[in-house]
Amino acid sequence: MLRRFSRTGFQGGRAPPHSKTQAPNLLLRDFDLMQKYSREISVAIVLALLLLVMAIAAPAFYEPQPLLSRLAREAPTLIVACGVALVMVAREIDISIGSIFALCGVCAGLLAGSGWPLIAVCGVVVLIGAVLGAMNGALVAGLRLPSIVVTLATMVILREGLRWKQQGAFINLPDAWQWFGLSQRGGQWTLIACALILLAVLAWVSRNLAAGRFLYAVGSNAEAARLAGLRPRWITLAVFVFMGALAGLAALLNVVQSPQVDPKSGTGLELKAIAAAVVGGVAVSGGRGNLWGVFVGVLLLACINPALTYLHVEAYWEKAIQGAIILLAVIFDGLRNRRSTN
Amino acid sequence: MAASENTTPRRHAIGEVLFRHETILLLVLIAEWFYFNSVGRRFGTLDNTFEIMRHSAEIGLLALVMTPIILTGGIDLSVGSLLGLCAILFGKLWRDAGMALPLAAGCTLLIGALAGGLNAVLIARLRLPALIVTLGTYSLFRGLAEAITRGVDTFTNFPDSFLALGQQHFAGLPTQVWFFLVVTVVIWLLVHRTTFGRSLRAIGFSPEGARYAGLPVERRIAQAYILAGVVSALAAIIYTARLGQAKADAGTGYELFAITAVVLGGTSIFGGVGTVHGTLFGVAAIAVLDNGLVHARQPREMAGMLTGVLLLAALGAGALPKLLAKLRGPRHSSAPPS
Repeated sequence: MLRRFSRTGFQGGRAPPHSKTQAPNLLLRDFDLMQKYSREISVAIVLALLLLVMAIAAPAFYEPQPLLSRLAREAPTLIVACGVALVMVAREIDISIGSIFALCGVCAGLLAGSGWPLIAVCGVVVLIGAVLGAMNGALVAGLRLPSIVVTLATMVILREGLRWKQQGAFINLPDAWQWFGLSQRGGQWTLIACALILLAVLAWVSRNLAAGRFLYAVGSNAEAARLAGLRPRWITLAVFVFMGALAGLAALLNVVQSPQVDPKSGTGLELKAIAAAVVGGVAVSGGRGNLWGVFVGVLLLACINPALTYLHVEAYWEKAIQGAIILLAVIFDGLRNRRSTN
Repeated sequence: MAASENTTPRRHAIGEVLFRHETILLLVLIAEWFYFNSVGRRFGTLDNTFEIMRHSAEIGLLALVMTPIILTGGIDLSVGSLLGLCAILFGKLWRDAGMALPLAAGCTLLIGALAGGLNAVLIARLRLPALIVTLGTYSLFRGLAEAITRGVDTFTNFPDSFLALGQQHFAGLPTQVWFFLVVTVVIWLLVHRTTFGRSLRAIGFSPEGARYAGLPVERRIAQAYILAGVVSALAAIIYTARLGQAKADAGTGYELFAITAVVLGGTSIFGGVGTVHGTLFGVAAIAVLDNGLVHARQPREMAGMLTGVLLLAALGAGALPKLLAKLRGPRHSSAPPS
């Protein structure tokens, strides 16, 4: 624990000025950084290898327009994965995000259909997400119920409620809504930029601001955090509210990509997001994880399906490969932890 | 979730809380029964009772084997996917490998044990978090099932003698209910009347403590997951016999029903506390609700919603006394939620 904190403290500091006299130090520091981020770096290497293989075996993978579409489709996943990574850092879990995502999408469609202006709809949808997240958070932090069971229940309630209300019917969006009224290219770039900016901000906040460090403190040891003067339950509540708001935002970014809203969207999104976070090095036991690692995890899992298609392997293998990647990532963690404790 | 998290001792008289919880659940079940009996005309008939049993046998089996796992503080998300994988492998062995059905069934049970063994090795031996390992195998097993069938292949035309297992009666009860009863009795005895069950609870309370007490923690945890694999395979065979076909998407979402039933039945998700009969009541409450709402001409979605609400209510009812005591009394240095 102590080591984890001192390490993170180090990581938050400014880098010493680069100069020749400090070369040995610098080398050591780089080595230390390499070791600290070995998990993230190894996933990035796997991703780079995959991309290299694709560049050689199937250059068509890099055709700009399909690539752009694929990336834009993953933008909502990235946002949700960042959120769930923060929840996991705080040692909770949220499996209701797929349902919140679908509900927010349907709300966006209904509000847009009844003529609300775009900005208002965006605000309200994010707010709805936050309120649903607050419901989870209140049950988890207020009543101290286990988060996995609470969010399992809210996942089923929201999903079934949505099916009851919508009966699987799609909702048509006004024309002005698609790609936020931009051209397709412009819209796709906007979505990707949104997701990346959010990722960068969250990654910075989680490392450098007190609010971010609180999550790590609570996730590492809630009792120690409480004794240090934090209020773990309020922090837990806050992270669930934030998760809900992010799910709402992700739903918006998803809705604008097609002319209709699918009320069944987001089925399995929670597992996809958790898988990406785990592959990216977030520990389910809390207190460990880095959002840039999550970014690499999302990209790696997102690459599998198109890579299979371009390599002319049957796409039915996607889930199996995804599962194998999760298992390999977690086995890697296990072996590394074992070595470091021995 | 990770078995090692659970180190805080419980301060409540467990027997008392449990007694209360299961009594409440039983009362809910009885209330459900009387309500649907008064609303739906055909609900209370023997035929319909058999129908409920027939349809809940597979999820019931999964919930039964989920109980020992959750007692150790673990979880198994892969049982539904394993059901799908076993169903299509069973079909594959019978149709394409030309095995006799009993032999194919035996091999399927073996495959289930191997798949459970994979979970067991990763969770017990490498000490990886059960939630993530079984999330991985959840994807892996379903993916293998889809890859083997290429997403479209289904296995049908099973002989009538086999379909009787899922669709006929034997000695007055639907045939699969006999399997269910046998598994229930075995698991009840294992959990409540053997040292195996006691060690599972001990591990759930405190894995470190159990280790210091000389219990074979790794082996016990591994056995619980292997048992889950075998019974998932059995559920796959019963599922195939009931529907007369095996498809790659068999059992999708069953793991969530099973976990819901177990938690509804009063087993703590953190491990250490729980009973098998509680799980049975949980399965029954969900199954009766599901079936009864159809008879009461309510939308099907209502069943899912009410199950979720019931789950939250059950959890809340357990947490409320603690909360009230806390509000009334002065603040103790209590352990934070983990």
